[in-house]
Amino acid sequence: MEEMMNLSPEQENELFRFLGEDEKASSEKIIAPRYSYWKSVFRVFFRKKSNIILLTLFILLLVSAFIIPLIFPYDVMENVTDSSSYNLSPTAAMTKYGGSIKYLLGTGSSGNSIFLGIFASAQTSLKLAFICAAINMFIGVVLGAVWGYSKKVDSVMLVFYNIFGNIPGLLVQSVLVYVIGSGFWSLVIAFTLFGWLGVAFFFRTQVMIIRDREYSLASRCLGTPINRIISRNVLPFLTSVIVTVLASEVPGYISSEVFLSYAGLGLSASVPSLGRMIQNGQTAFITYPWTFWPPVIMASLVAMILYLLGQHLADASDPRTHML
Amino acid sequence: MKKYLFKRILFSVFSLIVVVVLVMIMVYSLIERSAIFQTDDTWNKKSNNDRGLYEYVQYQKFGYLTFEDYTTFVKNKYIEVYGDDYYKQSDYLADKNAIQDAATFQQNPTVQEFLNKYAAKGYEFKYFEPMLYKSGKTKPGGTGYLLAIDNTNVFVRLGKYIANFFSFETTKDVKDPNLTDRYVRFEKDPYSGLFAIVGSGTQHKYLLYFNDRFPYIHQNWFRINLGTSYTAYRGQEITNVVTTPTGDLKTTRQQFPIDLGTDKYTDTAIDFHSVTYNATGELSEVEKTQFTDNYTVYSYQRTGLTVIGNSFIMGIISTLMAYLIGLPIGIAMARKKDGFLDNIGNAYIVFISAVPSLAYIFMLAAFGNAVFHLPYKFATAETKVLAYILPTISLTLPGLGSLMKWMRRYMIDQMNSDYVKFARAEGLSEKEIFRIHISRNAMIYIVHGIPGSILFSLVGGFITETAYGIPGTGRLLINAIHQHDNGIVVAMTVFYTSLSLASVILGDLLLAKADPRISLSSDKGGGR
Repeated sequence: MEEMMNLSPEQENELFRFLGEDEKASSEKIIAPRYSYWKSVFRVFFRKKSNIILLTLFILLLVSAFIIPLIFPYDVMENVTDSSSYNLSPTAAMTKYGGSIKYLLGTGSSGNSIFLGIFASAQTSLKLAFICAAINMFIGVVLGAVWGYSKKVDSVMLVFYNIFGNIPGLLVQSVLVYVIGSGFWSLVIAFTLFGWLGVAFFFRTQVMIIRDREYSLASRCLGTPINRIISRNVLPFLTSVIVTVLASEVPGYISSEVFLSYAGLGLSASVPSLGRMIQNGQTAFITYPWTFWPPVIMASLVAMILYLLGQHLADASDPRTHML
Repeated sequence: MKKYLFKRILFSVFSLIVVVVLVMIMVYSLIERSAIFQTDDTWNKKSNNDRGLYEYVQYQKFGYLTFEDYTTFVKNKYIEVYGDDYYKQSDYLADKNAIQDAATFQQNPTVQEFLNKYAAKGYEFKYFEPMLYKSGKTKPGGTGYLLAIDNTNVFVRLGKYIANFFSFETTKDVKDPNLTDRYVRFEKDPYSGLFAIVGSGTQHKYLLYFNDRFPYIHQNWFRINLGTSYTAYRGQEITNVVTTPTGDLKTTRQQFPIDLGTDKYTDTAIDFHSVTYNATGELSEVEKTQFTDNYTVYSYQRTGLTVIGNSFIMGIISTLMAYLIGLPIGIAMARKKDGFLDNIGNAYIVFISAVPSLAYIFMLAAFGNAVFHLPYKFATAETKVLAYILPTISLTLPGLGSLMKWMRRYMIDQMNSDYVKFARAEGLSEKEIFRIHISRNAMIYIVHGIPGSILFSLVGGFITETAYGIPGTGRLLINAIHQHDNGIVVAMTVFYTSLSLASVILGDLLLAKADPRISLSSDKGGGR
């Protein structure tokens, strides 16, 4: 120790030197492998071949549901004056209309093309599901975050939730449709007026769990404002939870829409809808199976693809799966 | 605990009232009220002012408003003066016909009296101008009317609804002065051979009785009044609609009360247990030869179940099946994780969660019909019992899926917990660990959902009952919406909301019973 203390200035200069200005910045950095959250999500997602197939199917569905009705506009009343076009089997329809792709799946009870019908209806279902999911998820996540974080809000919202949260959703939707009337936008209102409540309650519980974790407590002690804690500490943690909820919500809306339209409560007659097609085909599902099964299969396919895609995306968006 | 339970129930009742208020406000203010006439034949037959008056009479009946009619007002006024001979008096006729002249009716003093009296009470007035041909003759249904209308406030309507919600029959119910002997007592029931509690002076004769119909013991003492149907079952009480058997008439060999003790039998479908009181003046000659007392208004025996019975039977059986099949499969899936059964089970879970219920219901219906020749339309089924099979299976499918999913999830969570590792280290066999430790802990979560899943199967009934055309409560609601029947919509909202609120409380109670660590009331340590 004694020797160290008595180093001459020359000796010190040999051992130490001052950093140049350009070197200062880089010396402060801690070297670690680069991690980008979303890049890792997609890396994990695309690692599975089944996910690529699912995504391709989804894009194919999206494109056909939105492009086919653009090229061949769907009109239920197209052949309504020609009664010889009613309930034609695929082969009969193809011969009658000279092999037009429009009649690939035969015709329905008013001479309408089943093939165009299921794609136009799938478009309605997809639009409705995505709009409702977007609204409910946005309100649900934002309100749920506030609800879970603030104890004052919690006590008020819990009363509200205990009143409305336990009522069966289909009952609420049916009564709302009854009151507002049928149509695309009234269905959106019926699905969203109370639909966000369940989502918000779910996120409230999740936020409460994370709110009391040590790192959040530390942030609070350091004086970080609440909205910053919510947006930086809590919400990123919830990304995979959000995707999981989304994945189960979207098929739910499709299912509700199909049923309500089937029961004649959902969309008005002018809007193409899978539920209405199923209802039209149902009476003759043994004599004219081609009017009935395509919408049933389409509804199942759309919901299934969205559900699986959502589940797998949720798996990939969980950071714990990102470790190699 | 009792205090906590009381609080919970109180809050549930409060929630129910809030929901009913909201539904009433929405249904009665936002729905075009004239929709109730869409399927009304009487309305179609009436024309001009008569139709207008009929509309108000119906609105009053369905609780939209109350009104006072000028004609009745004049009548009552002159009855006070002249007694029963009022209709012969010329000043009565002059006042009564005053409203038939649109130009001068307001100058009549009686009309003015009427207007002033109800204007003071805040009523609105509706004057149907007399409709005349050019010749001066009145058009058919064109008589003039003057009404004073009081639109019913939603809270008044709610108050009435709640006040009439529960009713209890007493011996003072019948207001017939000819009835002197009033009692409630045990009697031997000649129709069941057992005893029955029989009332006199009550609306129903048989207050408690047994018969061969599920649930075998019945009562007419206490009833819940859900309101009146508007259009679907014109004017009937909804409680009657849901508790009256459906299906075809069931004729059996029975004896009319007057024949009891003799050997005279009649083939009839009358349900003698259903008799209610009929005023002495209204007894028909036929009834006097068949019955011994004034209880002569009856309903019929039918082959089907009641509306509510249809829903409950299917709901209960499907819930039971879901638990009996779903739990063992869930456990088996967890034990051999990533095995063959686990993969199949997971595929099923994904299918049921994703595919719209309507789609798999129809897939099942087509499959069951093609392979087992089971009927898939209730109305056309020849053997009604067979017609319940497919709907019950359809109701089971979603519950089965969610039970498998959660049982598997909980089992796997428990399998990785420390106490299981410890038990294994202690040398317990895998079988013992599963049976004694894991299953019991996993069951705690499952128990919580039992009441909820009974409810879920009832709500699932919306879709299933509509698809298979089964006359149950779910289809009742959907049909009521189609026919703009506000009464049934409100009643079914009350029905389903109270069921779901009850199932939440019951679920919590079961959870507390199953897991001693959980205390519901926060005063007993721990808390939530």
